Amino acid sequence: MSLHALADHPFAAPRSLAEACALLAERAARGERTVLLAGGTDWIVEQHLAPAPAADAPLPLVADVSRLAELRGVAERGDAIRIGAGTTFLELRRDPLVTARLPLLAAAARDVGAIQIQARGTLAGNLATGSPAADGVAALGALDAVLELASVRGTRRVPIAAFYTGYRRNVLLPDELIAAVEVVPPAPGSPFAWRKVGTRQAQAISKVALAAVAELDRSEGPGARLTRLGLGMASVAPTVVFLPEVRALGLGRPLASIDDEALAAATLAGISPIDDVRSTASYRRHVAVALVRRFFESLRAPS
Amino acid sequence: MRIVLTVNGAVREVDVAPVARLLDVIRETLGLTGTKEGCGEGECGACTVLLDGTPVNSCLVAAAQCAGRSVVTVEGLGSAERLSALQEELVSHGGAQCGICTPGVLVSAAALLSRGGVPTDAEVREALAGNICRCTGYQKIVDGVRAAAVRNAAAARGAS
Ligand SMILES: Cc1cc2nc3c(=O)[nH]c(=O)nc-3n(C[C@H](O)[C@H](O)[C@H](O)COP(=O)(O)OP(=O)(O)OC[C@H]3O[C@@H](n4cnc5c(N)ncnc54)[C@H](O)[C@@H]3O)c2cc1C
Ligand code: FES
Ligand code: FES
Repeated sequence: MSLHALADHPFAAPRSLAEACALLAERAARGERTVLLAGGTDWIVEQHLAPAPAADAPLPLVADVSRLAELRGVAERGDAIRIGAGTTFLELRRDPLVTARLPLLAAAARDVGAIQIQARGTLAGNLATGSPAADGVAALGALDAVLELASVRGTRRVPIAAFYTGYRRNVLLPDELIAAVEVVPPAPGSPFAWRKVGTRQAQAISKVALAAVAELDRSEGPGARLTRLGLGMASVAPTVVFLPEVRALGLGRPLASIDDEALAAATLAGISPIDDVRSTASYRRHVAVALVRRFFESLRAPS
Repeated sequence: MRIVLTVNGAVREVDVAPVARLLDVIRETLGLTGTKEGCGEGECGACTVLLDGTPVNSCLVAAAQCAGRSVVTVEGLGSAERLSALQEELVSHGGAQCGICTPGVLVSAAALLSRGGVPTDAEVREALAGNICRCTGYQKIVDGVRAAAVRNAAAARGAS
């Protein structure tokens, strides 16, 4: 436990997004590390578990971004909904626009930790930590979110599928922060699924979780086709995965013609689960296949 | 760093490391030892306090993040001489046994009850999902919280 080191960190509280970006730029140019502190529900826990730092190692500057107004709030922007990256899970599950237009994201937010974690934990922290079990990442992946990354150089937009490069690694540069996510909501009433399989309903990291959304064109009767399909699956690979093989299969042909075997093969192609303290690879494969199959069963059921 | 915050309704100024845990500021700097440390990792809820009215784990909040904000600890819910309805009902239903989880349970339950009405069992369980109790098996806690909600609702009707 290295809590004394925690209190030793230098601290800054930038008052605006511009100030935060300037601080990051200055420090990055000098090769100095900065930790952006939002809800602290990942970073402070990591400090608790970390070995005590060497006495002469410089501690990073902790910059509090939890109160930056520019990182908060949910608003419509054209066809899309823009969510400030500093929005907490509790704010998400209570937001009228999110509950009405992005019920998948609201459902995932309701299942993060328990209320104390939801009250502090943010989308930015969930995305930046990029745990393979990140529920917010799974839901945003199913919705094909685009991340807005800000720095003194301006803003760049990165689709979530291009954000992660490996286990807890992403394309964020040292002078950048995540400012917002943008999501095009599915047509009202579109089917979605949020299934988190774990040992306990609250406060448990998933063994496997599936987020899924679809838009369905039923005009051809039995030939109903998917016109939109998004999936995000947690805890089955080094990063949350977005199951491109299942998407390709689902979007390519009439729903009725997609059989369970093909679905299972496409699901397994997108995951690489391991044995760990929470579960086994073979259980995870079994559950992953079952969750995707059930989502497709729900789509085929007449509504 | 000097930080001004409101604790249990009183404005307090503390001189603490900015990234010190709120939990340590409450217990060590302010001497309010009702708030407990169980895990130090956000899992158990023993350290739960209200930050601007919402339950948070004080082991995961940095002191400087509380500047200008309001913190309520278990000491702010009632005193030993004057227990709140919630505290009385938790005790009389056997919802407090060894007591290590009790301050956090009370704070989370107080946040739920502040919304008014009588919550269902499921609502109580969801509101308390982040508070681990190794003694009671939870049902006695749920019963105590609901009994307090019934009393509060009756008192509110009487007052109006
Ligand atoms: C008991 C417990 C239960 C949990 N349960 C779940 C769960 O069920 N599902 C789940 O997905 N997660 C869970 N978590 C993990 C955690 O709560 C989430 O990942 C949360 O979203 C982290 O957000 P935060 O704001 O607290 O991040 P912080 O800890 O403040 O930050 C995490 C990382 O993100 C970086 N960061 C913060 N803001 C930005 C930004 N704007 N731009 C770039 N980088 C930034 C920080 O520098 C840091 O590296 C749980 C954690 C605990 C302790
Ligand atoms: S001590 Fe804070 S949650 Fe356990
Ligand atoms: S009363 Fe002992 S842990 Fe809850």
